[in-house]
Amino acid sequence: MRRLGREGWVGMALVMLLACVGLWAPAFFEPQPLWTRLASWMPRLVVAAGVAVVMVARHIDISVGSVLGVSGVVGGMVIAAGLPAWAGMAAAVSCGALAGALNGWWVAGLRLPSIVVTLATMVAWREGLRWGRQGVFVNLPDTAVWMGLPMVAGQGLVIAAGLGAVAGLGWWMRNMASGRWVAAMGSNPEAGRLAGIPAGWVTGGTFVVSGSMAGLGAALLLVQSPQVDPASGRLLELEAVAAAVVGGVSIRGGAGRMRGVLAGFLLLACVGPALTYLGVKAYWDKAIHGVVILAAAAMAARAGGKQAT
Amino acid sequence: MKTGRTWWVLIGLLAVEAIVFGTWGRNFGTADNVANMVRHGTEVALLALALLPVVVGGGIDLSLGSMVGLSAVVFGKAWRDGGMPWGGAALIAVATGAGAGCLNGWMVVRLRVPSLIVTLGTYSLFRGMAEALTQGVDAFTAFPASFLWLGEGRWGGVPVQGWILAAATVAAASWMHGMRWGRELRAAGFAPEGARHAGIDVGRRLVWAHGACGLVAGIAGLGYTARLGTAKADAGTGLELAAITAVVLGGASIHGGRGSVGGTWLGIAVIAVMANGLTRLPATMSVAAELTGLMTGLLLLGGMALGPLLRKDGGS
Repeated sequence: MRRLGREGWVGMALVMLLACVGLWAPAFFEPQPLWTRLASWMPRLVVAAGVAVVMVARHIDISVGSVLGVSGVVGGMVIAAGLPAWAGMAAAVSCGALAGALNGWWVAGLRLPSIVVTLATMVAWREGLRWGRQGVFVNLPDTAVWMGLPMVAGQGLVIAAGLGAVAGLGWWMRNMASGRWVAAMGSNPEAGRLAGIPAGWVTGGTFVVSGSMAGLGAALLLVQSPQVDPASGRLLELEAVAAAVVGGVSIRGGAGRMRGVLAGFLLLACVGPALTYLGVKAYWDKAIHGVVILAAAAMAARAGGKQAT
Repeated sequence: MKTGRTWWVLIGLLAVEAIVFGTWGRNFGTADNVANMVRHGTEVALLALALLPVVVGGGIDLSLGSMVGLSAVVFGKAWRDGGMPWGGAALIAVATGAGAGCLNGWMVVRLRVPSLIVTLGTYSLFRGMAEALTQGVDAFTAFPASFLWLGEGRWGGVPVQGWILAAATVAAASWMHGMRWGRELRAAGFAPEGARHAGIDVGRRLVWAHGACGLVAGIAGLGYTARLGTAKADAGTGLELAAITAVVLGGASIHGGRGSVGGTWLGIAVIAVMANGLTRLPATMSVAAELTGLMTGLLLLGGMALGPLLRKDGGS
């Protein structure tokens, strides 16, 4: 089990699922619906990757759904004001980074538990947005959709940006000193501090990363439709945590890789549509998600227990 | 245990709310309005009281809202499709909640998975089961009047929910503060390893806390169904976060070991009074109802930032 690693098992489960689908329902792999589906997954994938970084540092960020909602509206308003699409996307990412910095300051600067801080900012952002927008959508000019490109090219760009961001995060966490610090702080904060890691900056920085990724998620969502729904981030936070957990990120910090998050996310995202293609009714989707999460967590706990003894 | 300062801050907040809404709100202080607050606040209050033992024991339950939905749907299914009298269906629904809670507790203790992850999984699982039972679209309505009375009626001039809530409060307070069970749970949350060495069966305490939490969520599901008159798979969505907010605002530590029924009650009251009062302000100074959530978030942040400060002054 150890030789394959947690990510390997999730990857194998994903490959087996896709193989079954390929055998019995090859329609799943028709290029056009698959391409569209991939593009529509990208916003949620980058959000999950951002949350995973925070979890590796032994914290949690459940405000990402609300941050995505706020960033999307901010970016949408920038575009609606007449600026080009890339400016709106940049605005969304910056807005997310700012919101993440606020979380990071509360957690690292004031030493408050991250679950409560991000619960509070989640409620505050969501309800503040509801108050400010009253649920009204932001209408975008047609030129903003797919950044003015033809649909297939625009979707390709979104997919490339999403996968590129996740790959970049993975490379950063494995190969750069500041990235290694994240896992070091997560596995033993006190030892990390004594080793000279700027503890507060690393912890706070992970929240800036997850906020920026939520902003990027908003940006990638923004270009996919002519309207921005202020409620688009609802319940995203728990989905993101679930993808990270299934992908082998430990809630106790210190462990987790981006390729695992990618595999975990794809497994959860594919299992619903795949089973629909195999004839299972769509309303079983959530229950199956729950079983996958519990199975992954139980396996992780068993592996961890074995290593400890 | 120094919860005193937190209490005074919350009582002060309540007083401010009472003065502001009492001065400018329309019909804020009337008996009818108080009954209204009880009616609308009961489900969150029940869930917060149920969550408190879990949090004090060092855990958390994200599946509360999903258990509400599942028990509501089970109730509707047993009553309409199973042809049972509503009393029997209600028993089954509450038992479903208790079973769901015990499943949470069992997985936390036996599989040694953190409760945050277990209940994240069951958050999906229980909601998914509710959706599968109703095939995603079915809704149960036209319940008998004797059942709806639970949600709409009064007994002795007080809304029926008020009595249920009072009973739950007494039960929670005597469990958490009057009995050995509560002290052992507190010890388990404060220092699990130490509690184990002191001869406390930590695992059993946690399973009980989660099971009780599920049982109360089942009751809250019935209350929700009776108040709205329909049972659907999406019943109770988001209630878990409202309950966590009330518990944390009431001074409980998310790390376990600290928290009280009185504080939780004050947290619930501050949120419920604000939610009600903001809708009663006259048109000239009307603020949108959505502001409640925004203010709750800010209160939570402010309360937390002040928390360590207050405790330090309270003498440790």
